[in-house]
Amino acid sequence: MNMHESTDANSRAVELNCSFGHLPLKTPLLAASGCFAYAEPFAQFVDLRLLGGISTKGISPLPRHGNPLPRICETASGMLNSIGLENVGVDAFLRDKLPLLRELGVSVWVNFFGTDFETYIECARALGGADGIDVLEMNISCPNIKKGGIEFGTVPEVAHRLTRACVDVTDTPIVVKLSPNAGDIVGMAAAVKEAGACGVSLINTITGMAIDVRRRRPRIATTYGGLSGPAIKPIGLRMVHQVARALPGFPICGMGGILSGEDALEYLMAGAHCVQVGTACFAEPGAIVRITEELRGLMGELNIATVADAIGCLEALPPEVEYRAPR
Amino acid sequence: MPAAQFDVRVVENRALTGGYFVLEFEAARPVPIAAARPGQFVMLRGDWGRELLNPRAFSILHAPDDRHFSILAKVYGRGTARMAALAPGDPMTATAPLGVGFPAARAGVTQLLVAGGVGLPPLHLQARVAAREVGPRSVELLYGGRNRDDLVLLEDFARWGVQTHLATEDGSVGARGYVTVALRERIELARARGEVIELLSCGPTPMLRAVREIGLAAARPTYLCLEENMACGFGACLGCAVPVHGPKPYRYCCSDGPVFDAREVRW
Repeated sequence: MNMHESTDANSRAVELNCSFGHLPLKTPLLAASGCFAYAEPFAQFVDLRLLGGISTKGISPLPRHGNPLPRICETASGMLNSIGLENVGVDAFLRDKLPLLRELGVSVWVNFFGTDFETYIECARALGGADGIDVLEMNISCPNIKKGGIEFGTVPEVAHRLTRACVDVTDTPIVVKLSPNAGDIVGMAAAVKEAGACGVSLINTITGMAIDVRRRRPRIATTYGGLSGPAIKPIGLRMVHQVARALPGFPICGMGGILSGEDALEYLMAGAHCVQVGTACFAEPGAIVRITEELRGLMGELNIATVADAIGCLEALPPEVEYRAPR
Repeated sequence: MPAAQFDVRVVENRALTGGYFVLEFEAARPVPIAAARPGQFVMLRGDWGRELLNPRAFSILHAPDDRHFSILAKVYGRGTARMAALAPGDPMTATAPLGVGFPAARAGVTQLLVAGGVGLPPLHLQARVAAREVGPRSVELLYGGRNRDDLVLLEDFARWGVQTHLATEDGSVGARGYVTVALRERIELARARGEVIELLSCGPTPMLRAVREIGLAAARPTYLCLEENMACGFGACLGCAVPVHGPKPYRYCCSDGPVFDAREVRW
């Protein structure tokens, strides 16, 4: 490294082009599923072509109307939501929403889910046949679905069978979005890898609740909801790191509480190959573009020239020398 | 009209009675806010670090030009508590104008503006615009609160020549009781006169429910400006669902509203 180079020169030299497995990305920063709709509401605020990619709102075979209200509430350094996987359904998505996404020239990740094996497979097959989808992000982890969905996200054998069944019906790469509510996150990642997933996204929201003591009621209608935001970042980092260490080279898309370039770099250092930004986009529709520039600047400052150089570059703490009391 | 996100600074934080305060802002650059319709809103967030993530929604009280706007607020939670303490020069980030506003005033129709508490701002702006563009007799304000201190900015209505009907629960000013009593009487008067009226309302949900029932029973066009928890304000988070009649069970307070036809709302 040339110590006389300015930080500006360094950040110009930073290369954010990167890859997730075989998939090229313009930058490692994607919009997170559920936080970016199908991108249209953001077009008035930000040049969407500057994003590395977009993960859509979760798509199911049939449209879903979502949960009763209240659906969201703010908590300390985060928010709870229980939207209920509201979406337009596969047919309307392919007809009305995908064309805009396809035109942007960014990586298009279509998040999808079913309510049982058959509907997962039906959804993977329908979406997998469409042009312009780079990744099918299989959501096996949403806390806001009632019918038996919890096992998909928490039992490795079930996740393996479901992933294999979906991989078998499409040539589009499948990334499985894992639940932090799983007891064994490494076991879950290993199971879906073995079943043919090209990578994993982690973490989804963490189940939580909040109470209005004056009204003696839960603050969201379904009682429990998914916690997101900076409150969950330490958990996301820990899980990314555990999976990265156990499955070296297996692509991980990290997420959970990224608000700044430094947050994104933490995830890359923990072992994520790319990251998604979710809750931050609500308050600041242009958050991803700002975070991209912050990441570029910070990498320049730290003399990290490429995303590949950042991934997993975390160094273990040196072991402490054994203490011997003076005699 | 597309919305924009922009930096603003506080020009003035003016305390009113009843814990209400008016915040006036100046935008760092020209923004499309002067064309905001009454009922449209702004999302505001201060330098709140990582503790409070989401911006807060406020009806636009006034936007005289493309650099300035104001809101009316009252301390309700952690966000508004911080806003009450803002001083001139303090920065915030604004996203505006958002949502769909009230139908415009027009000749031949009297719009009855039914306001409760912190629901005044969109009706205040409606009256301001109506008085200027159609004439002060095209609108009348029916305004209710717990007591005299709850009723603010009345001098503006007087200045514009807009008639007001006040009601307080303790009777400290205007009629004693709820504003809906005054509303019923006014609707009866309109019926007797053969006057064409519309109801436009904003305020606490129990009041809006009552206004909705009165408006529907009288078969008069009734528009409600609603409030729901929202994270984004522009149709992305889907948090602010409003139950409606129709092909789908929900529409969105931020992007389909906040103003809804009372017939559509499924309460």
